[in-house]
Amino acid sequence: MTNALLRVVGLRVRFAAGRGASVHALDGVDLELREGEALGVVGESGCGKSTLVRAILQLVRPTSGTVVWLGRALDEMPARELRSARRDLQIVFQDPLASLDPRMTVGEIVAEPLRIHRPDLNAEARRREVHQMLARVGLPPDAAARYPHQFSGGQCQRIGIARAMILRPKLLVCDEPVSALDVSVQAQIIELLHDLKRECGTALLFVSHNLAVVRRLCERLLVLYLGRMMELGPTDAIYADPRHPYTRALLEAIPVPDPDVQPARLSHVLPGEPPSPLSPPSGCVFRTRCPHAVEVCARQVPSWETDSAGRGIACVRWREIGPESA
Amino acid sequence: MLEIADLEVAFETRMGHVKVVSDFSLSVARGECVGIVGESGAGKTQALLAVMGLLPRGARVSGSARLQGEELLGRGAGALDEFRGARIAMIFQDPLTALTPHMRVGDQIAEVLVRHRRLSWSAGRERALELLRAVHIADAERRLRQYPHELSGGMRQRVMIAMALACEPDVLIADEPTTALDVTVQAQILALLAELKRTRGMSLVLVTHDLGVIAGLADRVAVMYAGRLVEQGTARAVLKAPRHPYTRALLDSMPRLDVPSSEPLRAIRGQPPDPRALPAGCAFHPRCDLAADLCRSARPRLRPTGDGMVACHRPLGAAAGEEGPTS
Ligand SMILES: Nc1ncnc2c1ncn2[C@@H]1O[C@H](COP(=O)(O)OP(=O)(O)OP(=O)(O)O)[C@@H](O)[C@H]1O
Ligand code: SF4
Ligand code: SF4
Ligand SMILES: [Mg+2]
Repeated sequence: MTNALLRVVGLRVRFAAGRGASVHALDGVDLELREGEALGVVGESGCGKSTLVRAILQLVRPTSGTVVWLGRALDEMPARELRSARRDLQIVFQDPLASLDPRMTVGEIVAEPLRIHRPDLNAEARRREVHQMLARVGLPPDAAARYPHQFSGGQCQRIGIARAMILRPKLLVCDEPVSALDVSVQAQIIELLHDLKRECGTALLFVSHNLAVVRRLCERLLVLYLGRMMELGPTDAIYADPRHPYTRALLEAIPVPDPDVQPARLSHVLPGEPPSPLSPPSGCVFRTRCPHAVEVCARQVPSWETDSAGRGIACVRWREIGPESA
Repeated sequence: MLEIADLEVAFETRMGHVKVVSDFSLSVARGECVGIVGESGAGKTQALLAVMGLLPRGARVSGSARLQGEELLGRGAGALDEFRGARIAMIFQDPLTALTPHMRVGDQIAEVLVRHRRLSWSAGRERALELLRAVHIADAERRLRQYPHELSGGMRQRVMIAMALACEPDVLIADEPTTALDVTVQAQILALLAELKRTRGMSLVLVTHDLGVIAGLADRVAVMYAGRLVEQGTARAVLKAPRHPYTRALLDSMPRLDVPSSEPLRAIRGQPPDPRALPAGCAFHPRCDLAADLCRSARPRLRPTGDGMVACHRPLGAAAGEEGPTS
């Protein structure tokens, strides 16, 4: 427990939604990330993935709960320590171009974290670091002197990764880093992240709505629905044996490029969309779409059950449903 | 049903004449779904906007596109409008740009019918309700009175499909209709399109960069690269035994659930070329593992193979005729 890089404890985020109403964007998230580990966070749009990221980065204030960084609560850290925590906690955003300052050259963009956090480096040393980093993420040597708009989406994402990785952070947070990219370029970026993570020992918090992408990068997986944790565990175990009906539905929805298989997959799709977070269903929040819902699901909020293999689940019926009954 | 032949689309820009679609020919039979795949910038959308007469003024279009024998290209805006919506309709990735923000969705659908079918407004609204039900929008009466921004992305896409169906078009063109949606909602929309194709005998042109999306719906698949068709054939042939190295590479780059997660994704190196500066010879050669000298100098023509076509000097599974290599 003590060697955790990041711990999120009982995190709740509520947004005021006018007329006294409030949106429970996150309702009780507990998780832990060890050094060098990669955790994937998946779920449909609006399930709270970005809110989790923003709460970890202290960009939104949690309604309750804490984010603990190397044993210290982030919201209680003195300014100096917070600064060094920031240095070790970097982010890559979804929209590659929008997240880069259009008036700065790529060299300036990638050098900026060094300028802020490594005042000991002189201009020449900084330049060397930047060039090494640009080469490492697969950008041409002349990239440093050019501007972001002169690059494609995939290349802009490389620039964003170079900026985030130049300080060798302990944790890299990625919010949908490849969802705006073409499949062929997605694969390049995923492999780049995979290699950087291994080389630098950086831990990864990887947010995505694409489960196929997450599988390659993350050892552990968290499935969120309407701001609640549905299932958590080792990625391979969850893919081999998804226990929560929602996890199963997400996996079944992934399109497979095989015309002998895919038409049949389309014939049993999860109906409906997540209900409004303004008035979440009673009991299990997934029950309005769950093919296994019974009366008790409306009455009782499923408790979080864990097992010795590090798996956790919130479903009152997961044992009786059994493996892959669909 | 729809016959596109030798379509070419070019833009006059400050940097000169830029061709974004060349030698594009494609036919779509009644009740058939043809999938068009390729990366962004491959020219998929431009080719179809040209067919729909929706390109901006600066665009130069040549070739032909016939709907049941009648030429669509080069018509005046008024004459084309008769076809557009009535017999051939198109839906887009982002429904918000295609819907009018300040108009209730029911009225938007009704308006199509008032305009093209000369229905009264009340009959149009009644039909709009039926259409919303046909695209499985829950609580359709209430939705009818809502504005586009009050609906989720998936619901807006359903509204756009309902609008496209209003005049019972013979051909529906869907350009990346699910790219912006969650996988779950994507699966719902694809299932809906499959149902509409089956029950209405509608022809469907489905544009996407995701081969998984194509696999569930398409009878035939056309692959585009740098403004040209590089491969065409039945969905089974193209997806299970692709002849073009680009198609193979696209398939390989997809994250799959049926291989161990320890296996690296096989990305295609480099990126799609800039249409202003296409590589000589085969436009794919800088990214192709099989590229030889000939590929760098001569552009391969589209040639028949079994029941399809391929444009490559060194097609995969060349000797085997019908049977290409299986993955
Ligand atoms: N600033 C805010 N004010 C009010 N509600 C908000 C705010 N930010 C997020 N929400 C709401 O909180 C919920 C969770 O949103 P969040 O952006 O975290 O979801 P997400 O999983 O990242 O979705 P996506 O996949 O669309 O990015 C949603 O219902 C959203 O509308
Ligand atoms: S608790 Fe009930 S409704 Fe919720 S996932 Fe389990 S079976 Fe479905
Ligand atoms: S023509 Fe040559 S470069 Fe082009 S796809 Fe075929 S083998 Fe590759
Ligand atoms: Mg988000």
